[in-house]
Amino acid sequence: MKRFSTLIWLENRRNWIWSLPLMGSLLFWAWGIKQVTVMSVEERLGIRAGLLVAAATIGAVVLCMMIGRIRSETRKGQYQVLLMSPPSGYTHILSRFTYAAGVAFAFYIAIGFMFWWIFALAGISFDARSLFELILAVPFYGMSVTTLPLLAYTLLLMVFVSAYRLSGPGWVPGVVMLLGTPIAMQWVGEWIVRISYTLPGWRLFSTAPAALVERFGELDPETAMDINTALNQGVPVEPMLVMLVVTAVLLLLAGRIWQEVEA
Amino acid sequence: MTQAFLIVVRVLVVALFLYWGYRLWTGTRSWTSRIMGMFFSAVLIWQTTLGTWT
Repeated sequence: MKRFSTLIWLENRRNWIWSLPLMGSLLFWAWGIKQVTVMSVEERLGIRAGLLVAAATIGAVVLCMMIGRIRSETRKGQYQVLLMSPPSGYTHILSRFTYAAGVAFAFYIAIGFMFWWIFALAGISFDARSLFELILAVPFYGMSVTTLPLLAYTLLLMVFVSAYRLSGPGWVPGVVMLLGTPIAMQWVGEWIVRISYTLPGWRLFSTAPAALVERFGELDPETAMDINTALNQGVPVEPMLVMLVVTAVLLLLAGRIWQEVEA
Repeated sequence: MTQAFLIVVRVLVVALFLYWGYRLWTGTRSWTSRIMGMFFSAVLIWQTTLGTWT
């Protein structure tokens, strides 16, 4: 455990120059949100939500770049001392992933708070339960389905390419993996769609319609029915479970390769 | 004519993916990397020959 915490500390030393600006960029997005002064409340809310979605997307790219530096660091010999140290390849990979996942969680919770803020600016006040779902449940679900597998995939890609760095075919491993991934993901996606809603859905924002009605008045019956149907059905938990398993498998593979190549 | 051209292209692409698979097998001492390389090469060959691309 001490080795793991030491590696986490090392990850922080190595990556704070990425994680700190990433968190600081939220101030820029907050400033951008305040600059949106369109008259229509709905339009203003839509533009601000779009800005936050852009912030979340750019944040995911930055996190992937941060975790993907493992290859250049290995090539520059930054791991030479560590490679002779007792922690296993799995511990190295897990510490790297845990640090990035921790930063991502903090970042997306902050984005969740900013969503709550733009709703408040639009005069929509959620109750405690919806707020909790907005700042914890939605970031956790979104990260499980997108960011965590993406981080694990980037890590595996870099470790896989590094496995060929001594006598290997240069760019071939990266190209083969990048070309093959969309096809493999298509199979996984089709399977996820097939098994979705086998388990009961995760019901979120069940009290949100009341807040919308309070702000905008009664919705037209068709829209109200659509919203109620969607909220009663909930979000499927299968994509989250499958992608968490995919993440674990990708990390195991990355750890195994590290163990075989670097240890 | 077009069909024959597409078949030739596919054969060439499959040959390229087979060559890449060979390079990925021989380019490392990590068995997990070899298996991963074979998996992705096989996925690409499968998609080129039996996949839904036309």
